[in-house]
Amino acid sequence: MDVHAPTAEAATTPQRGAVKTERDLRLDFFRGLSLFFIFIDHVPGNLLAYATFHGVAFFDAAEVFIFISGFTAALVYGRSLMRNGALLATAQIYRRVWQLYVAHIFLFVIFVAEVSYSVLVVQNAMYVEEMRVANFLETPHLAVIRALLLNFQPQFLDILPLYIVLLAGFPLVLLGLRVHRLLPFAISGILYGATLFWGWTPHTYPAGAPWFFNPLAWQFLFVTGATAGFSRVTGIWPFPSRQWFRVLAVGVAGFCTLVSLDWTIHWLYDPFPLFLAKQLWMHTLDKTNLAPLRLVDFLAFAAATMIFVRSDSRLLRMNGARPLIVCGQHSLQVFCLGIVLAVLGHFILSEFDGRVLMQLVVNLVGFAAMIGLAYLLEWYKVAVRQASGTRAATSALE
Amino acid sequence: MMARRITKLAAPLIVVLLGVAPVVAQTPAPPKTSQCTVPPDLIASDPTLPGLAKRFHDRQPVVIVAIGGASTAGVAAGGPASAYPQRLQEALARRHPGIPITVINKGVPRETTRDMIQRFAADVLAAKPNLVIWETGTVDAVRAVEVDEFATALEEGITALRAGGAAVMLVNMQYNPSLASVIDFGPYLDALDRAADLDDVYLFDRYQIMRYWTDNGRFNVVDVPHSKQAALAGEIYRCLGETMAGAIDRAAR
Repeated sequence: MDVHAPTAEAATTPQRGAVKTERDLRLDFFRGLSLFFIFIDHVPGNLLAYATFHGVAFFDAAEVFIFISGFTAALVYGRSLMRNGALLATAQIYRRVWQLYVAHIFLFVIFVAEVSYSVLVVQNAMYVEEMRVANFLETPHLAVIRALLLNFQPQFLDILPLYIVLLAGFPLVLLGLRVHRLLPFAISGILYGATLFWGWTPHTYPAGAPWFFNPLAWQFLFVTGATAGFSRVTGIWPFPSRQWFRVLAVGVAGFCTLVSLDWTIHWLYDPFPLFLAKQLWMHTLDKTNLAPLRLVDFLAFAAATMIFVRSDSRLLRMNGARPLIVCGQHSLQVFCLGIVLAVLGHFILSEFDGRVLMQLVVNLVGFAAMIGLAYLLEWYKVAVRQASGTRAATSALE
Repeated sequence: MMARRITKLAAPLIVVLLGVAPVVAQTPAPPKTSQCTVPPDLIASDPTLPGLAKRFHDRQPVVIVAIGGASTAGVAAGGPASAYPQRLQEALARRHPGIPITVINKGVPRETTRDMIQRFAADVLAAKPNLVIWETGTVDAVRAVEVDEFATALEEGITALRAGGAAVMLVNMQYNPSLASVIDFGPYLDALDRAADLDDVYLFDRYQIMRYWTDNGRFNVVDVPHSKQAALAGEIYRCLGETMAGAIDRAAR
């Protein structure tokens, strides 16, 4: 991954101007974890989906991914803003946007190949209604334009368009953070509230292609992450951190986890009693508009995680955590591979064998491939660095 | 996803993980007497349908309305005469000889859950049904209606039907192995399952039943020549009607 990528590479200790640069492995770890969970959740009917975030919380891997992406974007580009000025920081952000855009189009091509195959194979009158969704095959010129405009978002291709739009607007967030550390947070919160209240959705062309993730709602999570991440640049933590706030966060996260866990057990094993499902379940469903219950649970969960998992936690140094961390450090490539693998995995499960053993195999092969790619990229990065280091014998880069 | 379905699927996994001999987890092989048989755990036994049970017991006429989409209307098999509601009526009549049983088909293609609710008063409740079979979810998934909107509409629909004095049976989507990559049925199947669970509504798990038939080679829905598609659809609808009659009898005890 190139140095401009918003990873935690440039994480510093909170003191501004501190010389020591230390990476916050928590960001990599949880981003890596969310990549694995996104892969698991994208294989339809995958039993392991019960063991991902939404088995124990109201939110899922998408919230984690977007929050951490906002956090690291503020950290990396915020430092660049302070050091190099707004123009270069913006250019760096747009270089990243371009990479994401190319990745999105790449995934779109793979997806079209897969869907075209499925649709043309299943020429059965019984499924005509269902197949109407694939009518982009009848108007491929419109489908391609919609994909280029980020308006074509079938089930596998929904997170990248959101990420692209959020990052494209990020220079404004950075400038706002420079004015006041809570200014973007306040504006973004008002926009989120108004979006929920008035039901705003982005205008799309041609009409009838909704955004699975409404960017007007999800920007709040990204900006909240950025507001927190910018504290690594300024050294000032922008949110409350007193004892009462910690207790509240842990309490809310714990409560939501208990309720979600109860539901998961009940859905798996019918006789287990349900608790509060009648009152709360419906309010956890609106992923498109980032339902407030999902947001509150996620923020409490994130705060509780920061309290219980310190950046020097032994958990992050364990051997078992290493693959997740490396995956988190090469998130774009591993994410794309995960999506392709999910499509392949689903193809195998539906065409050949969908039983539990095969599901285990598909999951394990998928994990191995993602970890393999991450280690390959890591090896490449180190090897290139060493090669250039020996060429320029006096290099003081490292 | 489906509580019962998952219990069944997860049991072998749990057994393997616990290192217990997997013998206990084996489900008994279904009898090969008919093409239509399904393992008993795919047919829920609760919640029960006491009102219907009483009518069967008192030998009173039974009126059932099936409201749904193209697969209820029987479009692929040529029309309502070959659709599952017709087959259900025939199967119920065989099971309860002497009791007048009417199944009215109100299937209209291309309607969302919300669209169907608009038709409840005129198409469903006007017939004063004892049971309403509500087949829904397909169009919502196809049009990517927001899942919370879908769940809210389901809840409203169930309440409206009950207020009209009818018992409710929900029917979920048709299964096809290649569809899952085109349409994301998962969240909608979950929502149907959970709404049924929370509101204590009987759910006829058409998706898993058809999946069972497909996985076990009872029907090949993938490579079908055009000339044979209507006949195949008719066969599947007949099996669905018969299986549904068994499910209704099981719940109306």
